[in-house]
Amino acid sequence: MKPAKFEYHAPKTLDEAVNLLGRYGEDARILAGGQSLVPLLNFRIFQPQALISINHCAELAYLRVEPDGLVCGALTRQAEAEQSADVQDTCPLLSAALPWIGGVSNRNRGTVCGSLAHADPLAELTAVAMALDARFSIVGTKGRRQASAAEFFLGDLTTCIEPGEMLEAVHFPRSGKNASAAFVEVGNRWHGFAVVGVGAHVECDDVGVFQTVRLSAIGVGSTPVRLTESEKILQGTRGETQALQEACNVAAVDLDPPGGFHADSAYKSGVLGTLVERALNETQALRLQKEAR
Amino acid sequence: MTTHQSNDFVGQRFPRREDQYLLRGEGLYLDDLAEPHNTLHLAFVLSPHAHARILSIDVSEALEVPGVVAVLTGEDFVSLIKPIRPNIEMPTYLYTDRLALALDVVRFVGEQVAVVLAESKYAAHDAIELVQVEYELMPAVVSLEQAISEGSPVVHEHVAGNIAFRGEFASDDFATKHAAGKYRLRERFRHGRVSGSAMEPRGCMAVPIRGEEITFYTSTQIPHIVRTEIAKHVIGCSESALRVVVPEVGGGFGVKAQLYTEELISVALCLKYRRPIKWVQDRREDLLTNTHARDHIYEMEATFDERGVLTSLELELYTNIGAYSSSPFGGTIETTGGARQIVGPYKLPNYAYRCYAVTTNTCASGVYRGVAQPACFMAMEGIMDRIARQLNIDPLEVRLRNIVLPGDMPWVNVLGVRYDTGSYQKCLELARERSGYEDFRRRFPGSRLKDGKYHGIGIGNMVELTGTGAPGWRVRGLQAVSGIDGATIRVEPTGKVSVFVSQANAGQGHFTTFAQIAADHIGVRPEAVTVYEGDTASTPFGTGTFASRSAITGGGAVIQAAEKVSNKIRRLAAHELQVEPNDIVLQDGRARVASDPSRFVDFEKLCLLAYSLGKGALPPTEVYGLEATEYYDPPVVTVANAVHIIEVAIDAIDGRVAIENYYVVHDCGKVINPMIVDGQIHGGIAQGVGEVLMEEIVYDEHGQLINASLLDYLLPTALDVPDLSTLTIDHVETPSIDSLGGFKGVGEGGIIGSVAALTSAIYDALEGIGANVNSVPLRPSHIASLIRAARQSAPDPEATRAKQELTAAH
Amino acid sequence: MSSIETTTVELVVNGKRYKRQIEPRLLLADFLRHEIGLKGTHIGCAHGVCGACTVQIDDKTARSCLHFAIDVQNSEIKTVESLATPEKLHPIQQAFHESHALQCGFCTPGILMTTEEFLRGNPNPDDDEIRKALCNNMCRCTGYVNIVKAVGLAATSMSAAENE
Repeated sequence: MKPAKFEYHAPKTLDEAVNLLGRYGEDARILAGGQSLVPLLNFRIFQPQALISINHCAELAYLRVEPDGLVCGALTRQAEAEQSADVQDTCPLLSAALPWIGGVSNRNRGTVCGSLAHADPLAELTAVAMALDARFSIVGTKGRRQASAAEFFLGDLTTCIEPGEMLEAVHFPRSGKNASAAFVEVGNRWHGFAVVGVGAHVECDDVGVFQTVRLSAIGVGSTPVRLTESEKILQGTRGETQALQEACNVAAVDLDPPGGFHADSAYKSGVLGTLVERALNETQALRLQKEAR
Repeated sequence: MTTHQSNDFVGQRFPRREDQYLLRGEGLYLDDLAEPHNTLHLAFVLSPHAHARILSIDVSEALEVPGVVAVLTGEDFVSLIKPIRPNIEMPTYLYTDRLALALDVVRFVGEQVAVVLAESKYAAHDAIELVQVEYELMPAVVSLEQAISEGSPVVHEHVAGNIAFRGEFASDDFATKHAAGKYRLRERFRHGRVSGSAMEPRGCMAVPIRGEEITFYTSTQIPHIVRTEIAKHVIGCSESALRVVVPEVGGGFGVKAQLYTEELISVALCLKYRRPIKWVQDRREDLLTNTHARDHIYEMEATFDERGVLTSLELELYTNIGAYSSSPFGGTIETTGGARQIVGPYKLPNYAYRCYAVTTNTCASGVYRGVAQPACFMAMEGIMDRIARQLNIDPLEVRLRNIVLPGDMPWVNVLGVRYDTGSYQKCLELARERSGYEDFRRRFPGSRLKDGKYHGIGIGNMVELTGTGAPGWRVRGLQAVSGIDGATIRVEPTGKVSVFVSQANAGQGHFTTFAQIAADHIGVRPEAVTVYEGDTASTPFGTGTFASRSAITGGGAVIQAAEKVSNKIRRLAAHELQVEPNDIVLQDGRARVASDPSRFVDFEKLCLLAYSLGKGALPPTEVYGLEATEYYDPPVVTVANAVHIIEVAIDAIDGRVAIENYYVVHDCGKVINPMIVDGQIHGGIAQGVGEVLMEEIVYDEHGQLINASLLDYLLPTALDVPDLSTLTIDHVETPSIDSLGGFKGVGEGGIIGSVAALTSAIYDALEGIGANVNSVPLRPSHIASLIRAARQSAPDPEATRAKQELTAAH
Repeated sequence: MSSIETTTVELVVNGKRYKRQIEPRLLLADFLRHEIGLKGTHIGCAHGVCGACTVQIDDKTARSCLHFAIDVQNSEIKTVESLATPEKLHPIQQAFHESHALQCGFCTPGILMTTEEFLRGNPNPDDDEIRKALCNNMCRCTGYVNIVKAVGLAATSMSAAENE
């Protein structure tokens, strides 16, 4: 269908955008890349009274390396982050996940923050944010506030962003040296939406002992899920076979993934452990590659 | 008698003339056509319920939307359009009339209940949301299994038990012969529902020209059928004042070989409002309302001897035809198709079937590439595989023992269908040799599990009934599908050739292939030929483009017309050059004396005579003009064949299927353009992969179509098809002896072989662990659950095998 | 600036500037097709999946069914019509022609725009890279086999032309 009518605003500054948000409250939507939002407008599932396009807010277009991490402003395009050496260095899991999102023509326009704010339970970046304990900077008429990943993702397409607020930036903690990361997915087609996806981020010491292990999954809940039990098992090991197997076996315990015609719950639980193994194997291979150089 | 024996152009890999404008983006598809300034745009209010009584419709709010001109409901159309009743004459067939716009009852989610006319499409979409419809819900029946069960709700009151048609057949003394079978197996095959999903959604535009004349543009494969049906159904529409023009069509696949309510409504409203009326659907409406296909159950019992040769087959087939019998093919087309085409290339001496067309509260089904053949061959090839497993004979060998052999041709099968020529044995043997089949068997003598993947190899051994002429359609009771096609060929005054064919292509390259045929038979170069299709004002009457028929029927008509025209050219040239007509040879636009090649006359000069231009005079025995119109009715059917052999590797945990190797050997008779033939096979393969691994139209228990978008109805991408290094296509040419050009059809062969072979490959990979693969689609989750269940329940594979032999239908 | 009824927009498309009075909700695809008559860009789904509507915004591919014309005013849009000259096809188009990489042609413009961007960034791709680059453009007719061939042929012919 053709989308319903809306009032269109193209603020030039963040302040303007926030004022507009304040004015419209829940009757407005932020338009950035539009890759998630506009299909819903074309289906007329959403019919906001106003669209506030932040595509002309230059001050939101930044991708910055800071001492404690990487900050993506609201207008950081996914393609930009994908091609950035800074992102590869400071946040390899983000680099690993980005190529899985749609196609180049989606990532050219789609934004990192936009995908997170939309909170589709199958969005790869939500798993990245969850795994790395990303910090969300939310701004509204009442000022700024921060939210942790756990606080941010509330459910299917639902975040803690209130009417009148928008996601201004997301902060990914800087990963340590000797960090490697991988993202793996399975779906019902060789490329397309994930049925289940796993992001793995591993930091080792100089002798290969896992100091930091972060694992999270999409597709096994209405929000991304941190696989904390698996992380605990791997912590302090070198990722040997037995530890790895144990970590994979417990991954799906206590999970009750939503089932549907794309895949049933048993499949998702069944495949999760294998994806954890594949992701960790990939991080291992990357680590060896780096060491070889 | 052909005048141009050497076939310079037929058989050549001519690049397409269509490409120049299509590549530039200059192709004008329906939505690209210039809209006259006062065009009204239609948008439809669709029923959100699968089965309901319409209590009231309030259009007042919708009328308030700026730009809205009118909002009409079913009541308004009672006096405008007659009920749609596909003309099918078969005993036991029960008509399920459909109104252009629902009046009292809606029978599927997506059925149209009101239509908005507005100055812009955006305004029309604003208005449809404001139409208030009050419904009283009625019990809905959604699945095939539910519809045939005791006590199910019925879709139409007069169609008891939801059986709109039942067909049956039994060969002589079947019961006795079937009971006497030495070995027996039973299986139930299930094929899910799919949607053709051409890249271009449907649309149409009716434009008043002058007086009562209307030019009706529509994205269709059957312009003449649509024209006649519109004239019969739209009150006040005169067929001779109705011109149907087909623009560029962005894919048809049979889904556009239907008569749709929007077409009738557009013409009716054009007559009523005397303004151009335009309608284009979106993808959601496409998936909701364009005819669906497949959704079959095959209950089969086969008997065979100790060598694996079939001695009898009994089939009970149920097809889900949706809420209404679609027009013109009706709800019986897949039912009779599946039941009759399943015999395939096998000698099967004793056969009986009972087939049922079952109504449900879902979108009507129609014809989609292959039309039942992908499903019924999936089943038959599944039977071959199971015979092989039961007797521990190689599956390819079993097929070789069952096929019709060269010495048997022409073969009349157990149903009385004649197979004119074919290369079943040659293709199977070539496939065995060139597909890596025997190498696979050597590599995997026992367990198929290697490196975490189950490996399998599958065979799709198929015939395809192509070029069905009038008798073929009559046998299936289809009175509105004439079966003939026509061609007019005209040599223009300057010597160029125009060919008008009663076809309507959607990407098959007709402007190139028919030019090749005409050029060969008239004696000009293809560059001198222009082909026209899809315009009822200039092309003769015909049936249209579907069911792998255009090469045969269109080609045959072109050849006949070309013969007539070239005979006249030869007579005129003979008169000019003072020789006998059979001493004249036509080539490159020249008529040359065969016995003295230095003497010739250009076609252009002969045209001066034919059109009374210039100084010469026509011979007294001739009439003016240099054109001919011929109709061709191919005798019943001509049978193409192919073998697909696919090697797969299935991940034991995630259930994903990788195609390791894909081999095809295909015989479509005399090939017109090998490049185009390969392209048709490639496309069919991709759709077959989609059908087996990912495509399914899913209705929930309330009849809601839950995946009405391409986000959830998954089409294969470039990563899902075999890559260049793993795909091999060989060709065999066994010309048809029944079709004029020796051509056979190829449009559907790719998908038929693909579905059968891919299912067979997955079965082959997993049957060793006791998993029984007998339904599609097979998503990774389904395959993974088959693997999980097999591994858990059957530690002893031998015990599993024994259990399966005794197992009745699932 | 706020507007719900029509407003004036200026877009640069294929190097030419256009000024039109439109509603904010007018999709870029519809602007191209119905406001300025560039019909080569097609709408296959309007939910950003099929890729038939692919154009380039500032030399980067984008799904024109997911953008509003008003929102991309300060950008340069390129469509399939920018590839060929009246006399000659673009080498990519020529390669598609020689490879029989199109049948009905509906998806083709989107695939051409995707291919143009891809080969710019990766002039010497292998088949795997090509398939990955194409996997977000849907084609229902060709089964992709000849499209992959065509992209490889285009890469070769464009490299050869570069080296002359």
